[in-house]
Amino acid sequence: MPSAPDAALAAAPAPDMWVIEPRQYGVLERARELWHYRYLWWYFAAQSVTSMYRRTKLGWLWLFLRVSAPVGINSLIFGGLLGVNSSGPPYFLFFVCGSATWILFERSLLVVTRSLERNRKLVTKVYFPRLILPLSSVAPGLLYLAIMLLVMILTVFYHRRQSGVWYITLRPELLVSVVAVFFALIFTVAVGLWTSVLQARYRDIRQGLRYFMPFWMYFTPIIYPVTTIPEQWRWILALNPMSSVVEAFKWGTLGVGHLTVRGITTSLAMTALTLITGAWFFNREEASSIDKL
Amino acid sequence: MKSLIVEGVSKRYWVPKAQKSQPTESRLDRVRNVFSVPLVRELLGAQEVWALKDISFEVDHGTVFGVIGGNGAGKTTLLKVIAKVIPPTTGRILGRGRVVSLLELGAGFDDEATARENIFMNAAINGIPRAVALERFDEIIDFAEVQEFVDTPLQYFSSGMYLRLAFSVAINMQPSILLADEILAVGDLSFQERCLQRVRELARDTGLTVLFVSHDMEAVSRICDRVIWVKDGTLHRAGEPEDVVTQYQNATWELLTSAEKPEEKGSSHAGRYGEILDVKLLSADGREIGSPPRSEDIFVRIRFRTYRAKTLARCAFDLFSKGVLVFRSAQPELVPVGADLAYEAVARIPANLLSETTYTISVGITLIRGEGEEHALVVNKALAFMVYRENSDESSGTLHRTGLIDPTLEWSMEMKPYAIRA
Repeated sequence: MPSAPDAALAAAPAPDMWVIEPRQYGVLERARELWHYRYLWWYFAAQSVTSMYRRTKLGWLWLFLRVSAPVGINSLIFGGLLGVNSSGPPYFLFFVCGSATWILFERSLLVVTRSLERNRKLVTKVYFPRLILPLSSVAPGLLYLAIMLLVMILTVFYHRRQSGVWYITLRPELLVSVVAVFFALIFTVAVGLWTSVLQARYRDIRQGLRYFMPFWMYFTPIIYPVTTIPEQWRWILALNPMSSVVEAFKWGTLGVGHLTVRGITTSLAMTALTLITGAWFFNREEASSIDKL
Repeated sequence: MKSLIVEGVSKRYWVPKAQKSQPTESRLDRVRNVFSVPLVRELLGAQEVWALKDISFEVDHGTVFGVIGGNGAGKTTLLKVIAKVIPPTTGRILGRGRVVSLLELGAGFDDEATARENIFMNAAINGIPRAVALERFDEIIDFAEVQEFVDTPLQYFSSGMYLRLAFSVAINMQPSILLADEILAVGDLSFQERCLQRVRELARDTGLTVLFVSHDMEAVSRICDRVIWVKDGTLHRAGEPEDVVTQYQNATWELLTSAEKPEEKGSSHAGRYGEILDVKLLSADGREIGSPPRSEDIFVRIRFRTYRAKTLARCAFDLFSKGVLVFRSAQPELVPVGADLAYEAVARIPANLLSETTYTISVGITLIRGEGEEHALVVNKALAFMVYRENSDESSGTLHRTGLIDPTLEWSMEMKPYAIRA
């Protein structure tokens, strides 16, 4: 019996034939799909950015305001009041460089986590590869990163005028910073694959993440240089891939980061582990989570 | 040629057991419930529900395929599985070409974005490049008749405009298979007619296959080539529209009448001043009937008893069809009734007024005693019946379309010596 209908369809074999089955789709199938729906990427990316300041009077100025507060306050308190040692460059620049990739990670992760939930009206009614949602939701984070870079460049020029020192120069090490940004993105997506699916079922995830993020930030060498941590405890920091990312970015730009082979390999392994399990989890649970949205 | 083959599709859901929140619940219990871990409760207390059970059918290329059934029968789940929105638990679906779904009014639309943006977004969702969408843009806007509102956010759209846009977008996405769930029931008649016509055209010209879910039996029997009836998640019947629709309507009618006892309706048929005893449908010669012919008078008899003297009573009933109040009829004046007596009120519905469809009747009696002391006895859905037509030749061809009523009007036509303009 099952062969008969196949024959009916196969009578005129067409490229536009499709099959829906309970089984999971393979990696290749998924990739093909992502390409097929490529026009959607831009839409969701733009939507996740504009939704940050939709219906506000100040509009996109909010993007700047939202970055300026944490950067301003933190550098004032830790650099100004507490006098944390930056191991070289001015503290403000040190802090901006440290938090650039962190802000990319933090802001993106929150948007990525909510990506399925926020689009549930769409997701429960029409089909498109759901993977597009977490992937394109890194757009706001990238925008914040761009703002941070702008602030960073302005600060460099300011110090050049004031003291005649170029703290950041165009040198090959800058490529390391680019790689660091790239890794921050991958790690964001890796964590987001877990959180976005879980958030569809348990809205606790977002709450928990908001609670957890400040701790994670202090667990990352942003406000302090790694060298302030005793040697024997630094391996704990390496378990947090973001600390390697932040250090690598600082090393590439300011040349003050503290990079060890062991630290980097640990972080890479952690990232790979999160990404692979995340992709597996997302592929497995995405559909059944949608049932519960 | 087949355009869609559904093979043994089932869908299982795990539904958490309903948490009973009783009024007697102590404060401690409530605290305990808040702290009980949802995850554990879900794992322990979930029960399986089969929304679809082993459904198989095939749809021919270029046909309009109707899906009917009661609420919660699984029609929408079936469509969502075909639309790939939810994965089947078992079975598989084979198809060919682009599937465009029109699952709900405005599904896949972003309220805060403009019509223009939404058109491009929908195109992207359907894998259509911007350039192609641009070519189709004017056609979409024209069919939807929203030319002046192209750059207005959808939240300011009326539901009619919204619907027109949704339909217009869907049919312009070059679908091979269109999934339409109850969508056409929302618009006004002229738009419905235009949509149905367009669907028919596309089926004929481009070989579009349509899966049409509707509760509008009239529309189903008019436009569908084949119909399946889904009941409790299984495929109950499949066949010619006329047959399946008739069987479905008969079954619905039986279901309604089998629950005839007023007690089961939970309405206040008995009160302090009186009680409704029964409501029956009678023929002209006084027999109780279940299914009256259209060409004869129908009588609605309400029997009730009273408990108090010096009471005024007025009987009334509402006639519903397809969920719409067709009319309400009440006794013209209040009638004095005595204590502990039985009464019988009869209303005549004239012949050739009702249409060939199912109706339900809800009955109400107002009892007034003294100054403003008013009490109502109500029986919701006291009766359900289907009116039939003796010689069905009368309703020939496309001229016949059942409305809520179908009065026989007087028509005349004669030749007039007007000058015919050249």
